[in-house]
Amino acid sequence: MSAYREDDAAQKTTSSVPVLDLRGVTKTFGGLRAVSDVTFSVPERSIFGLIGPNGAGKTTLFNLITGVYKADSGSIRFRTTDLGPLKPAQIARVGVARTFQNIRLFGQLTVLENVLIACEHKRKAHLLSALLRTELFYRDEEEMKNRALELLAIFDLDKMADEVSTSLSYGNQRRLEIARAMMLDPKLLLLDEPAAGMNYGEAEGLKTQIRWLRDRFELTVVLVEHNMQVVMGVCEDLHVLDHGETIAHGPPELVRKHPKVLAAYLGEDADEALDAEAEAAAHAGQGAEEGDSAAPETTELT
Amino acid sequence: MPRTLRRAIVTLALIGLMIALEFGFERVVTDAAWRQLALAAMVNIIVALSLNVINGMAGQFSIGHAGFVGVGAYTGAVVASNIHIWLFIHHRTESAPLFQNSFLVMPIVLLSAGAMAGIFGFVVGLPSLRLKGDYLAIVTLGFAEIFRLVIATAQTGGDAGGGISGALATLGGQNGYGGPDVRTILTTVTDPEVTARLNTYENGGVPQYAGPFWIFGAVVVVALIAWRLKFSGWGRALRALREDEIASAAVGVDPTRYKVTSFVIAAVGAGVAGGLLASMRDGNPTIQPDQFTFNTSFDAITMVILGGSGSVTGAIFGGVFVTFTVKMIEQLQGLESVQALKVQFPSLDLNALRMVVYAAVLITLMILRPEGLFGERELFKKARTKKSPSSNDTPDKPVATPVPEPAKPEAT
Amino acid sequence: MAMKILSALITGLAQGSMIALIALGYTMVYGILKLINFAHSEVFMMGAYAGLFLIGALGGESSPLFAGVVGTLGAMCLAGALGVVVERIAYAPLRSRGKNRANTRITPLVTALGMSVLLQNMAQLLFTAQYRGYPKLLPIQHTRKVIFITAITVMIGLQYLVHRTWTGKAMRALSTNVEAARLMGIRTGRIISLTFLTGSTLAAVGAVLYCLDQSQAYPTMGVVIGTRAFVAAVIGGIGNIPGAMLGGVLIGVIGELTKLTPYSGLQDVLIFTALIGVLLVRPTGLLGKAGIEKV
Repeated sequence: MSAYREDDAAQKTTSSVPVLDLRGVTKTFGGLRAVSDVTFSVPERSIFGLIGPNGAGKTTLFNLITGVYKADSGSIRFRTTDLGPLKPAQIARVGVARTFQNIRLFGQLTVLENVLIACEHKRKAHLLSALLRTELFYRDEEEMKNRALELLAIFDLDKMADEVSTSLSYGNQRRLEIARAMMLDPKLLLLDEPAAGMNYGEAEGLKTQIRWLRDRFELTVVLVEHNMQVVMGVCEDLHVLDHGETIAHGPPELVRKHPKVLAAYLGEDADEALDAEAEAAAHAGQGAEEGDSAAPETTELT
Repeated sequence: MPRTLRRAIVTLALIGLMIALEFGFERVVTDAAWRQLALAAMVNIIVALSLNVINGMAGQFSIGHAGFVGVGAYTGAVVASNIHIWLFIHHRTESAPLFQNSFLVMPIVLLSAGAMAGIFGFVVGLPSLRLKGDYLAIVTLGFAEIFRLVIATAQTGGDAGGGISGALATLGGQNGYGGPDVRTILTTVTDPEVTARLNTYENGGVPQYAGPFWIFGAVVVVALIAWRLKFSGWGRALRALREDEIASAAVGVDPTRYKVTSFVIAAVGAGVAGGLLASMRDGNPTIQPDQFTFNTSFDAITMVILGGSGSVTGAIFGGVFVTFTVKMIEQLQGLESVQALKVQFPSLDLNALRMVVYAAVLITLMILRPEGLFGERELFKKARTKKSPSSNDTPDKPVATPVPEPAKPEAT
Repeated sequence: MAMKILSALITGLAQGSMIALIALGYTMVYGILKLINFAHSEVFMMGAYAGLFLIGALGGESSPLFAGVVGTLGAMCLAGALGVVVERIAYAPLRSRGKNRANTRITPLVTALGMSVLLQNMAQLLFTAQYRGYPKLLPIQHTRKVIFITAITVMIGLQYLVHRTWTGKAMRALSTNVEAARLMGIRTGRIISLTFLTGSTLAAVGAVLYCLDQSQAYPTMGVVIGTRAFVAAVIGGIGNIPGAMLGGVLIGVIGELTKLTPYSGLQDVLIFTALIGVLLVRPTGLLGKAGIEKV
């Protein structure tokens, strides 16, 4: 563990309460300690990376935060809310949104419907109103649709709003999953390997996209990622896991020089990975151009 | 408001049709057997529509729907006959049910039948729907059998005792329930006037208040509810849930809540169907436990699957189709040639043959076309012309970029 | 009274081990395919009829040992074949189809239920709905012992099959992950058929034993006993073989003990209440382990 956390938090946040705070979180499956005594906190409006080799327990940690699994011990707090006793749906409602490693869209629903599901719980008109088809129901439906379409427009998916989501390209599916998560109006967004299957240019695009998301929606982003180009380029803080245990924590430039990280995580490929990262930085501008766009930010979403 | 106006006109037209059916039905369809068939088909439509909510829309598998129909039927029968006798004593009505009194009896019958079935639905649904997997199937099967057995094996006769077993005994056991025993009521009555009045009561079983007005009306209302349920956010959330529970929960849709509520809605629908069945005009004035065996549940499943799971019009089609074939078999059983054949082949049971054919059709359908005849589609559903999203709110923003980006990506 | 309870316990143990034999078929298929094989109860019923006819044809009460043993073996073969045929006709086509079609969850259940209804009504057409008396091969006091001993032997054999043989290893591999097992070179179709074969033969053993005890066979017998057996499997922890045995014995003992009370008709009510109770308190069953869904 390192002492960088507190300093960082003090610098970057306006409020002293971290958005996400994990203390001694432990989870075992059978005899396997998937996550062991993990403690960290994520400051407001930061981009936080959770990295580690395969099987380090990163996705398990996401599942613990979102309530899919229950921790054996330790506490997980979202701002001042204890997430421990909450069910996944409740956690989503308090403002923690996530995407999945292997995209989990509702395949037979249209793009628009996928996004609409995420604001179903905010509906003012309830079941009885839907059955009576009151004015409130129609107004509600209209409002929700407009909001969803605006959001889809931001992610440039509005043109395919009525298409079935499985017919989308891989990249569009990933974007739709983020759009769906954003429909929850989250304060904390958990991205599980957003760069999976992306080429160099796309990964560069993703970096700017993540930063843009954070600024645009005043979010805090936590991402699990293997792609070092993205992790080193975008994260302000890193937490490194290996076999469920914390081995390092701190800003990227320090973490990547950490001997334990080099040994356990990067192994003998350390140089290679660092080279790739350096190359990424050098080509940053070019990468963005490959993304065939340099258009300004889209208009407001209120 | 054109929408309000349109609704008012449609409602009035439907009420007019209901009244016309109430009084004109006997003249149009003179054969009581056919009238019974038509009304039974309508009740079965309600059974199918309600099962469709849980088996079709929510994608769960309940195989004890007959149990909830039974709960509704017994509740409805008890409520209807007791109100009927009360009316007979205190308002000096006839022994035969009157149409104007049905406006007092039927709402109470339907409410109590639906509520009772809904309560049972909640008790059965909560423990089994909390879990992943197919526990609902086996628990509903068990519930329906328990319900039937508890009623069928209740000790009837002289000294049934008090409490629960006494109450069960009044439901008539295997022989069925045909209204309360007037002799028992007489023993508790002290007023000589009431006694004299009760002595003139002719017990015709459960009073048949539910004529075409109520049954047709109920079908329309239930179908409307099913349709609106499907094409609302609720139906959308159920479809999402059917595809991926974990992803649904991750966007705030609570799987247990949606599933349990859907199951309770299905149970309430079944209860309403049962309430109608109990007091159906031209129907059987006694309610028997054998009406609610597993075969009844299987018929309900067939109705839903045949038309297409999740399709409202499909369930309506299935309900009508299955009712008519069942009736046809009954008619055939009575034919002399069939009777003669039965003497030769004693094992020939047309109903068993029907079940074999249904089961075979169902299996074939599952293998070749699991979505049923219509799939989830609806007949007569106009394809809504979707307004292009930018027609009403055209923000003059630049064409959105595939990758929304700030103007200058800063290098790290 | 104490004697009565003791004798009820013994009878319950015998009844329960017989129910366990049927529960094993449910639990094995569920363990591998995650499918409630509703048709299993009808395979049990058909096994009873096969036993009835075979034992009768082989001499019945005049040569109880020969007729009993050979008849039971014959019934096992027939029931096993029926189980495999059901699997091949109804379930295999569903598996080979892609997963992304409508109602993937309901489809196998409807098929299984359809198969059950089909077989049951077929039996009604073939054998009529009447109750048929079973030949009395053994005096009643010996029947219980035979049931108990046979059941124990069969279960030990099954444990051996599942834990000590290659086939058993393949079955366990399938129950963990069918796709991975296929990639490891296991011929999954064959192992699934073998599972159905094993479960169905066990059901036939159970059927003959049941009929020796209750001395009658009828087309709807599968529904009553099959449901009890399934509940036994769930209570013990579905997918878990020792659990099925435990559940079976529990159900048997509960059933016999209720017969001592004035509420003997409520045996199945009690059994289902026990089921709902177990689901509420310990959804995975008494011996089952909680599965983890990969996200």
